[in-house]
Amino acid sequence: MKTINKDKEAKKTAMKELRGLRKNLIAAASSTMKIQKKDMAAIKTFLKGEAATIPEISARIDMPTDKTLWYMATLKKYGQIIEGEKEGAFFKYSLNEPEKTQEKAEA
Amino acid sequence: MSEKNQNVGVYICYCGGNISDHVDVEEVRNRVEKMPGVAVARTEMFMCSDPGQEMIIEDLKSGKIDRVVVASCAPSLHETTFRDAIKRAGSNPFIYEHANIREQVSWVHHGDTATDKASVLIASATAKAKLLKPLEPIRVEAKKHTTIIGGGVAGIKTALDIAQKGIEVTLIEKSPVLGGQLNNLDRLAPFGEKASDILQELLDQILNHKGITIHTDCKIEDVTGYVGNFSLDIVTKPDNNNINKKITIDTGAIVMATGSVSYIPFDGEYGFGRHKEVITLKDLIHILKENKSSGTALEVNGKRIKNMVMIHCVGSRQIPGIHHPKENGQLNEYCSRTCCAAMLNASNQIRANFPETGIYEMYRDIRTYGRGQEELYNQASKNKVVFMRYDADAQPEITLGSSSDYPLLVKIKDSLTFNEQMEVPADLVVLATGIEPDDVSDLASMMKLPIGTDKFLLEVHPKLRPVEFPITGVFLAGTCQAPMDVGEACNAAGAAAVKASALLSKGYIELDPFVAQVDMDKCQGHGACVEACLKEGALELTEVNIEGKIHKKARVTAAMCLGCGACAAVCPEKAIDINGWALKQYEDMVDAIVSDGFAA
Amino acid sequence: MVSTHIKNFDTLVVGGGIAGLQTALDLGDQGYRVAVVEKDASIGGKMIRLSKVFPTLDCASCITTPKMSAVAHHENITLFTYCELNSLDHDGSGESQGIKALITQNPRYVDPVKCIGCRQCEYVCPVHIPDMEQGGLSATKAISIPFSNAIPQLPIMDIENCMLCGQCEKACPTNAIDYFQKPEEFTITAKTAVITTGFDLLAVKDNVQYGNGRIPNVIDSLQMERLLAPHGPYNRVLRPSDGMEPDSIAYVQCAGSRDKSMGVSYCSRVCCMYAIKQAMLLSGSLPLADIIIYYMDIRAFGKGYEQFYQNAKAMGIEFVKAKVARIDKGENGSAQVRYELQDGSGIATTDHDLVVLSMGMVPGWNPEPICPVSKDSDQFITSIKPKISPVLTNMDGLFVAGAAAGPKDIVDTITESGSAAMEAAKFMSKSLMEN
Repeated sequence: MKTINKDKEAKKTAMKELRGLRKNLIAAASSTMKIQKKDMAAIKTFLKGEAATIPEISARIDMPTDKTLWYMATLKKYGQIIEGEKEGAFFKYSLNEPEKTQEKAEA
Repeated sequence: MSEKNQNVGVYICYCGGNISDHVDVEEVRNRVEKMPGVAVARTEMFMCSDPGQEMIIEDLKSGKIDRVVVASCAPSLHETTFRDAIKRAGSNPFIYEHANIREQVSWVHHGDTATDKASVLIASATAKAKLLKPLEPIRVEAKKHTTIIGGGVAGIKTALDIAQKGIEVTLIEKSPVLGGQLNNLDRLAPFGEKASDILQELLDQILNHKGITIHTDCKIEDVTGYVGNFSLDIVTKPDNNNINKKITIDTGAIVMATGSVSYIPFDGEYGFGRHKEVITLKDLIHILKENKSSGTALEVNGKRIKNMVMIHCVGSRQIPGIHHPKENGQLNEYCSRTCCAAMLNASNQIRANFPETGIYEMYRDIRTYGRGQEELYNQASKNKVVFMRYDADAQPEITLGSSSDYPLLVKIKDSLTFNEQMEVPADLVVLATGIEPDDVSDLASMMKLPIGTDKFLLEVHPKLRPVEFPITGVFLAGTCQAPMDVGEACNAAGAAAVKASALLSKGYIELDPFVAQVDMDKCQGHGACVEACLKEGALELTEVNIEGKIHKKARVTAAMCLGCGACAAVCPEKAIDINGWALKQYEDMVDAIVSDGFAA
Repeated sequence: MVSTHIKNFDTLVVGGGIAGLQTALDLGDQGYRVAVVEKDASIGGKMIRLSKVFPTLDCASCITTPKMSAVAHHENITLFTYCELNSLDHDGSGESQGIKALITQNPRYVDPVKCIGCRQCEYVCPVHIPDMEQGGLSATKAISIPFSNAIPQLPIMDIENCMLCGQCEKACPTNAIDYFQKPEEFTITAKTAVITTGFDLLAVKDNVQYGNGRIPNVIDSLQMERLLAPHGPYNRVLRPSDGMEPDSIAYVQCAGSRDKSMGVSYCSRVCCMYAIKQAMLLSGSLPLADIIIYYMDIRAFGKGYEQFYQNAKAMGIEFVKAKVARIDKGENGSAQVRYELQDGSGIATTDHDLVVLSMGMVPGWNPEPICPVSKDSDQFITSIKPKISPVLTNMDGLFVAGAAAGPKDIVDTITESGSAAMEAAKFMSKSLMEN
């Protein structure tokens, strides 16, 4: 028990040191992450109401279309968004309903 | 093995969209899961990938399943991949059955039909898999000897490579000399090595190699046997006493290196055969090799050439409806690959040595793809070779010229200058005649080797097995497969040699055990099977002493058996069957296919 | 750091792309013990990143994954992925002129023995980074397995983008995360080596005439491979600037090839065929789109290639003989292509929704100063006997295969790899006889 605690302590100290060493990287990564989180939340909030195309979402949440598409591709990859019908030359995207996610997980 | 409940695992591949774009793979999985005998049914993006294989291995190891069905591409691609995976799980590799739902389903059907057919094929494979028995491969001794057919550069290189690995080699050449097409070449594109130097270097090695036996001037009469134990009957040329010697070569593997010939233009093609000033690239190379020109212009038959026209793609890149097929209906639709660089090489030599000989090259596309070849093209432009481009449907025309200086006139619609009709007076026209495979149809049909629509010998797969034939133990190298330059032919030779060496290195070969097996109790010695057998020596009637009585019984020589099933079809006692492909399995497969419910 | 680990093999293969894999298999099958050293986190090279391959239109994965798997499970082959080659030379210490390589194992920050490849770390990681496996067109996480059929199935942590939040460590069911992993050096000695370091595409960003990569919807051909791949960034072909399904797609051939002023002077050998292949795949997935290929010469020289080209023409793909002089930003996300028609009729301009640059090939690895093997003026490794054996280099016992010896398609690469394996095997049996 004691040795484990000691290891834990040692690890904690080492992590602290590592955080110190990588301070700048960590700060940059954290701010990137926060922006990403906010951006993706904005997309998802908008999609709660309706399915929409990239230009529609982009105009509404004031984000460049290429960035919107990048997020959309990512959210789709990780199963949070699904592609729907095509409207003109664009596809509509909608939130992946929670039930569906569950089904997939169970399968 | 009883027909008790087997637990079949069915693994269905998306093939990254190749299958799943047309087959509803998850729907198939749902149906398959309910089929009798199916213990698990799973899907994967690429079943042949490591995660896919791991899935199968885990299910086998955990005891969930003891028979495997993979539904994916054609078995020719990945049957061995999955058998190996099963081996790694510690199971017998022959508890495996393959359902082809790509080539036979998703590439030819769409929508519900595709999903239904995939389900039915899997149902049938599952029915068969339930009756699969663990089998042992047939091990046969393999002779550490390879026979190379063809003594051109590919054949010589293959022979040298294999012999260096300590495997005996016999090289067979139909003509009196070794070297093949190298004998017809001079300076090789793009670096200018002398073909004769290259050949000499190879000959010095091969003629002094103790492990290589060479037969020139001979003909192959027959090829029999199977991998590890082939036998070739050859007849040599008449000796001093005018007697043909017959030789039998026992060999473990065979490499086809039968090479190619130059396309011969038909009578009148670009004036060939009608005007003596129209020659082929092969003729021009011969002229350059002889090097009889003394002055500042190239001399042909003692005549100084002032304006020479070189026409590309003669007998190559032919298009149905535009070009004239040969008498046998053959069109050479392929590119001969080597002519562009060879033409430019010749042009540069001429422009460098004979500045008073002007050159016009008439081409469709200049294909200087290889290392050092683009430089040839640039060099030709610098050397003031004039390039004119024609479309396939507007070939240059050769007519008689009006002056004695220029006996010919070449008309061309030059697409580099507004498709304008141009006329070039010429005193020599050179045709870049392409490459055609040497005609080995007799040998190919004797050995059951596939030939492509382009008439070249056809490999199993250009990327998976590029130097192999479907007949195990037979390989191919060089221009019998496709047009190649010398370096490419030598690479192909190395690739064929490495495969032959790996095959023969162990001294034995394992063959698939899908051969006939006799049920000794049931066999009454009718002999119908022996009569029906397609392979001489594979099946015979022997006398067996059972409790003091002599009985006639059929006996199979497993290594010879083709597994065709002709015997099983005629046996009145149903005493002979094919391992892995038993009659009962066929019956169950058919039942599964015709039964309702698996489709939708 | 003084290297203490020495691993001994018969052959060292440098590069785990299709050339390296085929070389390793052909040697391993003959009983030689082979080490494959790969700089990336997975073997498979460029080929595993392709969609389908010409002229058979097989999916690239269908050909590559089984070879990757065969190598990974081969009893005679050992893989060293995510490794740096620091030096490669003859081993001067012994009588036999063997090969000695100093190698650094880069840290993944994941224990390869404990990790089971479950991807839980990737799922919980909160930081998204551009996924270069998808041409940067979608994202992956700061810890991730590079792609679905990667071998080995081990994630890599990108410490440049890691917040050290500890979520991956918490999620890992086997305690495989190790934030403190260090680079490790080791030595490989071998009797022979084969260089199979492949190629890179010329970078679009270096190409002034084509907009330095700053014009939207002008992409390179490997990005298009990803768009066409079934598990690509969008799972379909969309324009990266706004997700529009393109109606007009153009290919710019010889982008950086056959013109020293634009990149390299040689022909990159595969661009004609891959452009035709991509065009065919596009016309399959977007049947109504106009597809134009601007080209100088179509070089369809391999077995079945010319027939493939003629099929593409028959399918309605348009081939325009023209040299593209420059590309500018057009309206509504289009790219404006300005080209000189080769029939002499002058300069023309056309707008396209998407433009693919068929970028030329450059060597994937520069031997200087790591290895004394000689390079040619084209910067690819010199073949000292291009006719009798194109795989021989100026170093005894060191061979080259695939695109490391000049641009090459997959078919020619696989054949050449067999040839390199043969030369290496011969070299080893020769030295065996001499000893």
